[in-house]
Amino acid sequence: MIVQITDVWRQYRMGGAEPVAALRGATLAIEAGEFTCLLGKSGSGKSTLMNLIGGLDRPTKGSIEVDGIELSRMSARELSLYRREKIGFVFQSFNLVGSMRAWENVSLPLVFAGVPRAERKRRADEMLERVGLARRADHRPTQLSGGEQQRVAFARALISHPRILLGDEPTGNLDSATSEQIMALMVEENRRGTTIVMVTHDPDLAERYASRIVRMADGAVVGDTRREKLFATEATEKGTEAASQRG
Amino acid sequence: MSWIAMIGLALGGLLRKKGRNTLTMLGVFIGVFALTMIISLGQGLMAVITGTVSGDDNLRQISLLPGFGIKQNDKPEEIVIEGDMSERRRERLRRAAIARSQLRQTASGQSLRLTEESLDELRKLEHVQSIKPLILRRYQVDFEGHHSDGTQTFGIDYARRHPESRVIAGRYPSSNEADEVLVHEYLLYTWGYVTEEQAAGVVGKTLVISSVKGAGEDNPMPMPEMSPQDLQALFRDLKLSEAELAAVATLSKRLPEILAKLRGGEQRRGIAIRRELKIVGVLREPEAGDRFNLLEDGQSTQADLFFAEGLADRLLREAAGSGDVVYQRALVMVDDPSHAEAVEQKLRDKGYTAFSVATVLKRLESSLTVVTVILSFLTGIALIVATLGIVNTMITSVIERTREIGVWKAVGATNTQVQIVFLIESALIGLGGGLLGLGVAALAMLPGDIIARNLIAQRTSFPYEGAVFILPLWLQVTGPVLGTLVAILAAIYPARRASRVDPVTALRHD
Ligand SMILES: Nc1ncnc2c1ncn2[C@@H]1O[C@H](COP(=O)(O)OP(=O)(O)OP(=O)(O)O)[C@@H](O)[C@H]1O
Ligand SMILES: [Mg+2]
Repeated sequence: MIVQITDVWRQYRMGGAEPVAALRGATLAIEAGEFTCLLGKSGSGKSTLMNLIGGLDRPTKGSIEVDGIELSRMSARELSLYRREKIGFVFQSFNLVGSMRAWENVSLPLVFAGVPRAERKRRADEMLERVGLARRADHRPTQLSGGEQQRVAFARALISHPRILLGDEPTGNLDSATSEQIMALMVEENRRGTTIVMVTHDPDLAERYASRIVRMADGAVVGDTRREKLFATEATEKGTEAASQRG
Repeated sequence: MSWIAMIGLALGGLLRKKGRNTLTMLGVFIGVFALTMIISLGQGLMAVITGTVSGDDNLRQISLLPGFGIKQNDKPEEIVIEGDMSERRRERLRRAAIARSQLRQTASGQSLRLTEESLDELRKLEHVQSIKPLILRRYQVDFEGHHSDGTQTFGIDYARRHPESRVIAGRYPSSNEADEVLVHEYLLYTWGYVTEEQAAGVVGKTLVISSVKGAGEDNPMPMPEMSPQDLQALFRDLKLSEAELAAVATLSKRLPEILAKLRGGEQRRGIAIRRELKIVGVLREPEAGDRFNLLEDGQSTQADLFFAEGLADRLLREAAGSGDVVYQRALVMVDDPSHAEAVEQKLRDKGYTAFSVATVLKRLESSLTVVTVILSFLTGIALIVATLGIVNTMITSVIERTREIGVWKAVGATNTQVQIVFLIESALIGLGGGLLGLGVAALAMLPGDIIARNLIAQRTSFPYEGAVFILPLWLQVTGPVLGTLVAILAAIYPARRASRVDPVTALRHD
């Protein structure tokens, strides 16, 4: 079990009024090497859950363990190091730094890890090569298409060889053809052993690539399907759901 | 933590907004430039003063003059008016008392003279190494048809041979007693010896100095020139009786004889000294680079004739006749500069007028320091304004780059690292401004030196060729370091703000 989320709440206090709960008792266990897709309506708490797993945010209540370590007990500094070493993020709006070249964006995590420039450049070029953008290393984000930008972001997320890759609607801004490219990269990375959790609004994409589909509603996990079973019997979905909630 | 990588990140941030950051940097530049110039000038002026003054035992010397017998340092603020009266009246009387106390100090006459006995007495004071009278005296001078009534002469310390290097023609007197004289080039110039050759031509010739009895430093001619007619008119004014008039009529036949006795006769007041002196050399005005002793060379800046002290003393004694030899001023040498102030105070306590170079220097230095500090504070305002500019620029930068900061955090930047990037960014602005300020100040000092030297040359009789702006190493370091420190301080709040950026909010898709 690489991620164990147990009864997690995340409330937002809005100036004295009743607190808004983005998550209300979400429970989910993710195995190492799984390719999980989160599906759910807008506002169901998918992004909130991703941010908690990625250590960008802290739960109001409940426990999140990654590799057996409780995130809510970590200091701010420890969370930063956790993100640096174990997590890679890909976002819907690619979140590249506009003033930096592609390779500089890719190597940004290494800046904070204190990796010397020459090595940063070498490793960034390697990653760009992997996402098929070797020749765009010196381009700025504005000179790249959306798909290319997301591939740069993907390279950045993976440059530190994280154990978990988190994608919050990474294909949300892309057309279907470029989405397929990104998904292919995801699958490739998953085959290398990286655990993948991604949010998508496209059930078709989830069904074709994910090994597991988790459905969310109203801040809780309401459905959980493994791919083999998905293909076997869609009718027994409720059964697997109960099983996953036990585990 | 990789500093080089973070500096690179900060530099990248700076280059993104070149115009804005350059303007911010100019603020620091102006502050550092002005500060460097002012402190440099303060340092330079201090060096000008101490440089002119400190060498050659200057700091061991005290100038001693006759005193008024009253302690010189009566404090006006200590004057108290007693009695039952209104405060207004008390204040009025107090002011009147202050005015009169000052009057009394200057008007009560020279009750403490510098005689051989009094100097001997003072020589016994602790820390006093020697006391040497300075003989400045006015004489009538006659040379080749030129005549002057009040030519200042100065007895030079033969042993020290101080102005020897200033002899531009001829030589230094051959002994302390020799009837030999050095003529200042300016006196020769006023007599029409304009070129250096003409001036040099007087060497070997003889001039005559003379003085009437009772003449002193300030009083070369005690007797007015009078004709027999003047004297008769004087008698008429006196409204004499018949008998007296008859007597005057008899006497008047002998008026020329009487006048001669009064004016110049040998018996009572007449010519006390008449001496032929051989001109052995021409002395030039001091130049920059000459050794300059403030209380010796400084006292002789108005002298036109220079002879050895031994001769000067002999002439003074002859003029005094059987009376006391009274000196106008003397030079006290103490054993160590650190005792100058105490000895000076002791002389003052005894009622003499005394001032040491060390005290004057100290006073000059402290007032110069005060001025420098005040001006530095004023320039500090420029730096404060620059600081506000930096705060503003950095906050703007943080706000503009909120999303970027979110990215940094998502990829593993710690809060400390985020802070450091912004602190470095600001420090670079400060360092840049500081270095620029230092550089431009260093350049501005070149014309600044020339201008300041010209001002000194135009307004004082002290030649000066050294630097007026001084940029010591510590000052070179101060500007950039101060600029950097100020910039870092200015960035503390913006950098904290950057580190508090919530990555979730910053990265939210919109
Ligand atoms: N900072 C916040 N302050 C207040 N409410 C918030 C905040 N962030 C999220 N919420 C609320 O929490 C709920 C869950 O938000 P979340 O972003 O996790 O939904 P989501 O499933 O990712 O939706 P979408 O598919 O539209 O991205 C929403 O109702 C949202 O309005
Ligand atoms: Mg979302």
